[in-house]
Amino acid sequence: MNVMDKPVFSVEGLWKVFGPKADSVPADPGLTSLEPAELRARTGCTAAVRDVSFDVRKGEVFVVMGLSGSGKSTLVRCLTRLIEPTAGTIAIDGEDVRAMDKSRLRELRRHRAAMVFQHFGLLPHRTVLDNVAYGLEIQGVGRSERRARAQDVVAKVGLEGMEQRRPSQLSGGQRQRVGLARALAVDPQVLLFDEPFSALDPLIRRDMQEEVVRLHREEGRTMVFITHDLSEALKLGDRIALMRDGKVVQLGTPEEIVGSPADDYVREFVRDVSREQVMTVGTAMRPGDCGGTEHPGALAPDELVADAIKVVARSGKPACVVDNGRCLGVVDHERLLGVVAGTEPRKEAA
Amino acid sequence: MATVTASAPRALPGGLLKHRAAQKLLLLALVAAILVPLANARWASGSWPAALTVDLTKPLTSASNWIIDNRDSNPLFLYFFGYISNAVVISVHAVYLVLLAAGWAGVTALGALVAWRVAGVRLALGTAAAFLACGLLGMWVATMQTLALMVVAVLVSVVVGVVLGLAAGLSDRLDRGLRPVLDTMQVLPAYAYLLPVVLVFGMGVPAAVLATVVYAAPPMARLTALGLRGADKEVLEAVDSLGATAPQRLLTARIPLARKELLLGLNQTIMMALSMAVIASVIGAGGLGDRVYQALASVDVGAALAAGIPIVLLAVVLDRVTGAAGEQAGEESRSLRPWLYAAAAAVAVALAGRLAGRLDWPDSWTFDIAEPVNRAVDWMTAHLYSGVPVVGGTADWAGHFTTWVLNPVRSGLQGLPWWSVLLVVAALAWLIGTWRTALTAVLAMAAIGVLGVWQPSLDTLSQVLAAVAVTLVLGFATGIAAARSDRFERLLRPVLDVFQTMPQFVYLIPVVALFGVGRAPAAAAAVVYALPAVVRITAQGLRQVDPAALESARSLGATPAQQLRQVQLPLARPALLLAVNQGVVLVLAVVVIGGLVGGGALGYDSVFGLAQGDLATGLVAGAAIVCLGLMLDRVTQPTERRAKKGA
Ligand SMILES: Nc1ncnc2c1ncn2[C@@H]1O[C@H](COP(=O)(O)OP(=O)(O)O)[C@@H](O)[C@H]1O
Ligand SMILES: [Mg+2]
Repeated sequence: MNVMDKPVFSVEGLWKVFGPKADSVPADPGLTSLEPAELRARTGCTAAVRDVSFDVRKGEVFVVMGLSGSGKSTLVRCLTRLIEPTAGTIAIDGEDVRAMDKSRLRELRRHRAAMVFQHFGLLPHRTVLDNVAYGLEIQGVGRSERRARAQDVVAKVGLEGMEQRRPSQLSGGQRQRVGLARALAVDPQVLLFDEPFSALDPLIRRDMQEEVVRLHREEGRTMVFITHDLSEALKLGDRIALMRDGKVVQLGTPEEIVGSPADDYVREFVRDVSREQVMTVGTAMRPGDCGGTEHPGALAPDELVADAIKVVARSGKPACVVDNGRCLGVVDHERLLGVVAGTEPRKEAA
Repeated sequence: MATVTASAPRALPGGLLKHRAAQKLLLLALVAAILVPLANARWASGSWPAALTVDLTKPLTSASNWIIDNRDSNPLFLYFFGYISNAVVISVHAVYLVLLAAGWAGVTALGALVAWRVAGVRLALGTAAAFLACGLLGMWVATMQTLALMVVAVLVSVVVGVVLGLAAGLSDRLDRGLRPVLDTMQVLPAYAYLLPVVLVFGMGVPAAVLATVVYAAPPMARLTALGLRGADKEVLEAVDSLGATAPQRLLTARIPLARKELLLGLNQTIMMALSMAVIASVIGAGGLGDRVYQALASVDVGAALAAGIPIVLLAVVLDRVTGAAGEQAGEESRSLRPWLYAAAAAVAVALAGRLAGRLDWPDSWTFDIAEPVNRAVDWMTAHLYSGVPVVGGTADWAGHFTTWVLNPVRSGLQGLPWWSVLLVVAALAWLIGTWRTALTAVLAMAAIGVLGVWQPSLDTLSQVLAAVAVTLVLGFATGIAAARSDRFERLLRPVLDVFQTMPQFVYLIPVVALFGVGRAPAAAAAVVYALPAVVRITAQGLRQVDPAALESARSLGATPAQQLRQVQLPLARPALLLAVNQGVVLVLAVVVIGGLVGGGALGYDSVFGLAQGDLATGLVAGAAIVCLGLMLDRVTQPTERRAKKGA
């Protein structure tokens, strides 16, 4: 991934305050420093998103995670102004979203960013095919063309044979596939997901997560993914923004979040994660040359610690971490166990 | 343990409520202690003081005379009301001609085919049978007249209702403005709408159609707004997220999502339009209602029944077919083809009838039920009216009810000092609602006094109170029984279904047959009309009581009677209060119509004012009916209902 790429979404100092005289809150330093409860008591306002900044890079899966009520849904809706932000800037491909007029905004929603919702948001009176084609219908695409395109997407999400059913005749997982297909049908630049799998049973949720991983691998589409489920975030996210009370408390790769929690809140959050499934040997290794050119049990630096454990256990010897034929360091029993136990020397959060 | 924890939090609001109730009463007593001696000193009289009345007869008479004189010359009438009036007459006449041109076979086929498409074979057969029965009873032409009026009235009601509903559904401001108006219109008796339209349009079909529209459009508006507002927020958000424009959002999402409510609104509008189209015979609607009205005026029960049966059949068929359409919402295929076949079949039948020269219902195929019915009624009069051993006769019952219940209540009410009536109204309304409802109720009652119809209004009120008491005793008992026994409920349900669909007017027919004319039959008709709703609400309320609460009571060894008294009834309190409110509103609606069968009081004043061209008396009585309706609704309107509606 090229970090120099222009970000798809660039969010800077974003605020969303609900309540009377919401506009005055972000501008008043006396109010912005208050805790949420105090702010509500003082002004009757709820600050759902507080001074949030981040970039979403092209092609990445950007996960926003946090407990319920932390402002995730509000944040993702601000991106396409389904909820009007109170302050701050949002840019998509460098274009100021908050300055867009109605038709420009419509164009953004029609072609550039499509959303998948927690409770699916399907139209109950339409068939699966017509639901999937709905976005195209809104755009004014002719009937036969939109049906043909919808048909392709329906196949892509594995719903063949169900085109003529109504949403009420589908299971939860199938409904969300329709929701996903409806968003994909308009071929958007970015997909926005708001807790899309929270309403599904665990097994089906796993299927759907794999579906998203597959889609992302095949198409490389940029995704902003909201979830309250840490394992989902770690599984899908290239980078994760962890929210609490409307603020982003840490932003980083899954490994950074798990390996170097920014504060006690994040530490508590990631306490029960199987760290060997997230941490890579690149972080776990003892840096330095392993000597020699044989590189026993050579591992790539982005290999998971869990895999390294297998290699080291099998050979009974430390393994080298090798990148492009160059030795970066060594992992041994002690290092690997340190990762599993969570006692390895911490790096400071990025 | 469970009940202890369950009752502990409930004890608190209960105590608080009593406390607040005591506070309200105390405050009211204080106000009364100051005002009553003052009022009594100035206008010491039992009835409403004459000094406080305003005689509207003169201005109203001159206004109505002015309208009659200027109807043909004033531009407002010539170019506005005149056009409306003409348009209504022409459209009703056009529909009527089309129905006649289609012939009885064509109309029957069309009705059956529509029912078949919408609701299946059974209702199609039922519809055909209903139409044929109308013909057999010799009421074909009258049925078509009523149907023509209904078609026009329903179309206009639906358009008006949908437009208002869209406005209220899409704009919060309009919703806040419209909602109280629609709520209030909902509780006013149908009768009250007749006179104002007569003032403007005179007696006849235009007035009847417009009264029907005013009465039948509100449910459409309410349900349209409700459906639009009830749409799933996330679906609408999804529609927005795809970049829909406002019209796209409305047409592809909001309206289709509200489909169920829209069809329910259509159903209610049709039923209310039928009810009103029949009552509007009093102002010249013609058709079936007119036959009933004329027959009742001469106490010809047989003829009334011959016209009443088609009304009931029409009501049941219309209700079932439109109801079935609502239930199927969203399921049926969009294909037009079956509709085309159905239309073609109907046209074919109509043409066949035309070619066969059998457009009009053949006279030889009619069956006169009036005579046998009247013979039966005569027999009843002779044998059942009085002197039946042990139980006494029906007329005896009516007489006793009048002597022992209606008369004492009336003289009691009329004997009360006027200010004490206002105080009671204030106390009741405030205890059950807010100070606003109390104020509305008191003002409405005072307005009755000011209008100078205090005595007849109290007469009507006494009939309402007596009928409501009977309705509630019977309704609660039946409702409790239905809630306790599934079998009884299954038996009861179809009966309630039919009774709830019948127009108010037809209830007068059987009571006249049984009890003759007078105030008691009017009250009896009101009881029969209001009973189904009270039974239904009571049974539903009791059945919806939290099963966990019941189970914990049972586990503590409560007897069924204890369960009912200590758990079910207290928990079903909101439903029971709603039942009282509905009972009062429905009873009033029929008690005023009872003026046609000797109920006297306000109902009589408004109709016969009308019949004698004395519009002023009628209008004053109509206004008093409105005030009475408003007062009774506010006095029985629990605060919870308001709160829930507002949410
Ligand atoms: N329309 C609204 N009006 C007032 N407060 C709101 C509104 N929507 C959300 N909130 C508040 O904003 C906070 C964040 O909500 P939300 O973004 O839905 O959180 P999440 O999606 O993380 O559960 C919550 O405290 C919620 O109560
Ligand atoms: Mg959320």
